[in-house]
This record gives sequence, structure tokens and C-alpha cells, in this order.
Amino acid sequence: MSTDESTLALVAAGGMDVDDREILRRIAALVEAADPVPPGLVDSIGMALTIEALHAELAELHLVGEPELARRADETSIEAGTITFTTDVLTVMISVHPEAGRVRVDGWAAPAGELSVELHQSGDVTTTTSDSDGRFSFTDVEHGPARLVLRRPSDPTVPIVTPQIEL
Amino acid sequence: MMSDDLVEPVDTALRDQGEGLADRAARAVVAYRDGDREPLAALVQVMTPLLWHTVRAQGADTETAQDVVQNVWLTLVRDIDSIRDPRATLQWMLVTAKRAAWRSVRRSREDLVRHEQDEHVTDWLAAPVDDRPDTMAVRSERDQILWQHVSSLPDRCRRLLGLVALVDRPDYTVVSRALGMPVGSIGPTRGRCLAKLRIALSSDPAWSVS
Repeated sequence: MSTDESTLALVAAGGMDVDDREILRRIAALVEAADPVPPGLVDSIGMALTIEALHAELAELHLVGEPELARRADETSIEAGTITFTTDVLTVMISVHPEAGRVRVDGWAAPAGELSVELHQSGDVTTTTSDSDGRFSFTDVEHGPARLVLRRPSDPTVPIVTPQIEL
Repeated sequence: MMSDDLVEPVDTALRDQGEGLADRAARAVVAYRDGDREPLAALVQVMTPLLWHTVRAQGADTETAQDVVQNVWLTLVRDIDSIRDPRATLQWMLVTAKRAAWRSVRRSREDLVRHEQDEHVTDWLAAPVDDRPDTMAVRSERDQILWQHVSSLPDRCRRLLGLVALVDRPDYTVVSRALGMPVGSIGPTRGRCLAKLRIALSSDPAWSVS
């Protein structure tokens, strides 16, 4: 065994001390700084798990003649202006309006009727009920990724969930 | 120097170690099966960074890495009833993440060859020494020296230390095993990777005086 090798073996066999822990603490900080977890990843995982737990029917997105509604490059989120979502049983249209740094979301669901409508954002859920015409709105909403979860009184255990949109 | 966990009674040492991610993951899985989703939601917060860096250490680009990490969580909840030993959850997730990342990297390398694209993996845990970006925010001179020495370690040591640094002692074994390193690669003794780093640092006058 060379001197270098025996020194290495000796140091390696030593118990971890305060300095080792300090070094690891600094390495952790360096790793986080060099390659931070993308902002929003934890939130979007949380949302995906929530949707998964709902065993929901995922509504398909149909863009209705709104050229500014370009899908983002990563295709995980869609910039919202006016958007229509459809499933076999329900069609939902929403429009998004800027309002003092935040947004208002107006929506309309057909066939008309009272639905429970949830707005999911980063773990926060806001709930409202549509009126008898199927209209609903959320005011004072923060910008960021969001989903709508709609529940029909006829079938409350199978919610309808929109893809993630960017408000 | 003797480590305190070699002289303390075992139960005291264990108590000092606190609860690791493996224990939290086990409890979250059991709670989820009982209909309580809160502990798992909390686990996403604390465990996603480790999964992220595990995937990135395989050379996955940031977009792929986000998909891989999210899929690991989705797979966990889809298969949650079939997990026989909840205490193995952390290990399972790390290995699943590593393999999925490895597959996607292999796929994208094949694509790269086909399309003759010129893209570089910029992840430092995976990148060869020469490719590593120097743009990162190193806050102090001491960190800079540490960074240089960590960067000069062999790939497997750089990955081991980079990932083990993100967890506490109770999880060292799980992390090193998931990386394919033998048990005892680190903790309770230093192991060869940390020893290499300590020797390199102690022979660097710039580190020793600061």
C-alpha cells in the first residue's frame, strides 16, 4: 500500500466530525445555488397529485379562434385569454381579465345549471357555485398556473378537470 | 478524531439523528392509504429537491428532469396500494427517478446523434470537469475553493457527496445505495469520497488558513 493510499484509508475510516458536517452543509448550499429546483415545480407536482387523487375526467382543451392563445414551448400550461374546454358532458368557456395586478376569471358552463366550481392554484382552492345559467366568476385571483375542477350535482364523484392554464 | 456516534449509546445517537426522509416517506404512504393526503403533500415539499438533483446527476436537462420528477410522484400514488414495505419508499423513489432519468438521457443522446444537434448538458453533478459552467453564484472565497475541490473529485464521488449533502444522517445509506454505491460509502465513517475531499482541502493552503 502506498503512503497516499494508506493515508486515504486511515482518513476514510475516521468517524465524521463537525468539519465534515460543515463541509456537507456548504456543498448542499452550492448544489442548490448551482442548479436550483425550478420555481413552480413543487406546486405543479402538488396540483398533479390532487388531480390524480380526484380520479377525475380530464377535459379536453379546444382553442376557439384566439390567435394569442399560443401554447407555451413546454406545453405544460396555456396562456389564458378566452378558452373553451369540452368533454362529452360539459362545455366550459372562461375569459380572463387583468384587474389591478391580479385577474378576474369569468366563466360559463353548458348545459346550464348549478355546478360547484373550484379554482386550484398552488395548493389553494377557491370554491364558488355557478348560477342557474351556468355563469360563475372568481375575482382578485393571483397570476400563475391554475386549473378548474367542476362538479355536477348529478354526478359529484366524477369531477371535470381542465388542463393547467396560465392566468 | 472519534465521532460522537461511536461513543454514545446507540439509542441516544438515533434520537439525535431525528427523523429522516425515509421515515417521513413511510408515514406519508401509510397516511395516504388511510385517506389522509396531507403528509404526502408535505413530503413533496421536502423531498422534491433530492429527487431533482438525483435526476439531474444522471445528466437529464431541466425540462426532462421536471417531467421525470413529477412522474415519480404520480407513479407513487398510482401504485401506493401495492407498496409492501412503506419504509422502502424513499429508496424506491430514488431508484425509479434515477432509472427514468437514465432512460431519457440515453434516448435524447440517440436523438442528438440522429439530429446532429449541439447541446450540452450543463448540470454540474453530471458534467465532465471541463464542461462545467463557472457562472454559478459562489458566495465566498472559501466556497470557491471547496467548489473547485469537489469538482475535481471522480464523478461517482461528486454525485455521492452532492446528494448526501442534501439529506441528514439517517438517509445516507439509502442515498448511497440508490446511487449504486456500497453501504458505508459515507457515514458513520467518512468513507473514501469524503476522505479524498478532506485530504485535498487540508493540502490546499488557501483552505487551511481561512
